[in-house]
Amino acid sequence: MRKDDKGRIHLKLVFYGPSLGGKTTALRWLYGKVEGLQKGEFTAIEDETNRTLFFDYVPMSAGGRVLFDVFTVAGQKRHRHQRKVVLQGTDGILFVADSSPDQRDENTESFEELKLFLGDALGREIPIVVMLNKRDLPNRMSRDEMLDLLGLGGNVPIYETIAIQGVGVKRAFQAIAREVILKRMYK
Amino acid sequence: MSDPKAFDKILTDIIRQDKGIKKVILVDKTGLTIANVSKLSYYPVDVDSIGAIASAVFCASEEQGKNLQIGELEIVTSEFSEGKIFASACGKGVLCVVSEAEVNIGLIRLVMKKQGMQLADELDKFLAVEPMAPSKDRELDEEDLKSALAELERV
Repeated sequence: MRKDDKGRIHLKLVFYGPSLGGKTTALRWLYGKVEGLQKGEFTAIEDETNRTLFFDYVPMSAGGRVLFDVFTVAGQKRHRHQRKVVLQGTDGILFVADSSPDQRDENTESFEELKLFLGDALGREIPIVVMLNKRDLPNRMSRDEMLDLLGLGGNVPIYETIAIQGVGVKRAFQAIAREVILKRMYK
Repeated sequence: MSDPKAFDKILTDIIRQDKGIKKVILVDKTGLTIANVSKLSYYPVDVDSIGAIASAVFCASEEQGKNLQIGELEIVTSEFSEGKIFASACGKGVLCVVSEAEVNIGLIRLVMKKQGMQLADELDKFLAVEPMAPSKDRELDEEDLKSALAELERV
């Protein structure tokens, strides 16, 4: 939690996960479709094919003096150092896992990398919400299979989502925002 | 807690040093814009976005320097056909100066270095607010957080 010179509270949320898993799609959906949130401009540092090169960023607020600075990371493996930079000072993580069976290893690698970067703080000081994305795929992995894959127990909120249609995205965002606020209130 | 107006004073001192300086922004290393001043009252830029990028670019360059083992990063200069962006370290933050193309680079570097030290001290005080916040501030924060929580449920 940080404050700006106007005394407003800023909380940093980061969408993390493997390449092409739906991080930017989910953020764009929140940006474009959710009316109750006040939003600043959408900033994207991306290549010509719209793949994220560094991060996407949107400041959002549900009103009042608390702002969420929402970032995504670049998912491709070679952008590891950029991801580390974006994670600095994060207050909450939305991990976007890809339900496609051929992304098994990518999901695991990305989650392991996240644990490596945040260490013991992940899930303790820094809340995490997991989005199992692309649930509309006919050959999707089962929920249990994905949770086993990521080594997640029952204490992490899990949302099944279809980012391209916005299914579950708002609820997942509300969940991480709520977790982060509660963490700050009862710290 | 440091007085947030202290930032404005230092940033204003910087902007007055060269007529080519258009904007001065102070960001922390998480991408949060802490304070900013402009030469013109109407300068239509998205400061939050500029701050986030400035911080990320600076931190990415720092990481690059660390990987290459070439020491501490002092300043990043980006030169455009119609302007320049300077970003330098100032303790836990990054000082970002946006200027016209024709400016005295030596002077700007010197000013950023000198004022950067002062900003670093102020930032230390400002960012140290949390553990020693007076109870009234804490109550206000709690009210803001509670209200955000309620608003969030209505989204």
